Amino acid sequence: MTPRRAAIAEGWPIFVTAVVVGIAFGLTARQAGLSIVEASATSLIVFAGAAQFVMVDLLRTATPAPLIVLAVLLLNARHLLMATAIRPVVAAASPIGRLGLAYLLTDETFAMAIGWFRRGHRDLSYYTVFGTLLWCFWNAGTLLGAAFGAGVEDPQRWGIDFAITAVFVAIVAIGVRHRSDVAVALTAALVAAALRLVGASAVAVVVAGALAPLVAFAIREQHR
Amino acid sequence: MSLWITIVASGVVTYLTRALPLAITTPGSAPGPLRRYLDALPIAIIAALAGAGIAVPDAQPTAGAEVLAAAMALVVAAWRRNLLFAVVAGVVTVAALRLAGL
Repeated sequence: MTPRRAAIAEGWPIFVTAVVVGIAFGLTARQAGLSIVEASATSLIVFAGAAQFVMVDLLRTATPAPLIVLAVLLLNARHLLMATAIRPVVAAASPIGRLGLAYLLTDETFAMAIGWFRRGHRDLSYYTVFGTLLWCFWNAGTLLGAAFGAGVEDPQRWGIDFAITAVFVAIVAIGVRHRSDVAVALTAALVAAALRLVGASAVAVVVAGALAPLVAFAIREQHR
Repeated sequence: MSLWITIVASGVVTYLTRALPLAITTPGSAPGPLRRYLDALPIAIIAALAGAGIAVPDAQPTAGAEVLAAAMALVVAAWRRNLLFAVVAGVVTVAALRLAGL
């Protein structure tokens, strides 16, 4: 299968989710007082699902702009880790190409691209095709929700909101290769879950993701 | 006007978190320990995303459905080595459990 076909064949559940959640975002943004243009601009310019929901919630409660931007920065700090992790494969692209690939970097695109690279591929077209389509569906969903969102059903009812979590679980399950991978993955999942449950949602992924690789050192020491 | 400043500034800080590690080039290859850390990083981040997605603090009245559905997705992924099957299994499980009121 070509990278382009693989990105579409494997990506469609996530594209469906992006449209549905995009509609929910457009609707939420309108309810928080944003216009159709402002709601769409948020998805075009920020292009980060969780942070956008936090933004409109804070806008609704009239939070000062610097605090909103700080919350967005904290929540998106995990991208620093993801971008660091894909540096080796992205190094093949031109400097301008890298800046474009950075704009498309989301949790979903990162996870799917890592799933692709872990199967031994080195081309960037899977990343580009998946990321571009995700961007299109997210923005189309936002526009639909902002323009005619009133009649949307709750996505939770059909489990659509869970699709992306299932993707993360599956990519880890398929991608683990060594015993140390398993230990790192379990540590990361448990730390992130614990942080989220105690209310540290904003930094859960970046803290758990940054700490868990250290477990790999402990595991490998034991073999010596 | 302040709304547009918020949107654009949020976009700028978000883009910087994505672009800075890719824009900065370092000479030579990373030293051994750093390379081992970076090797383990992708799985750690994705597992952290999964953990944060499974632990839903305000999951009323569905506490437990996400954990069982994640276990189902894990089993199917390990068994069939197929992303799509695992995702469908996870979504169907969580929808069924929520319908059952779990």
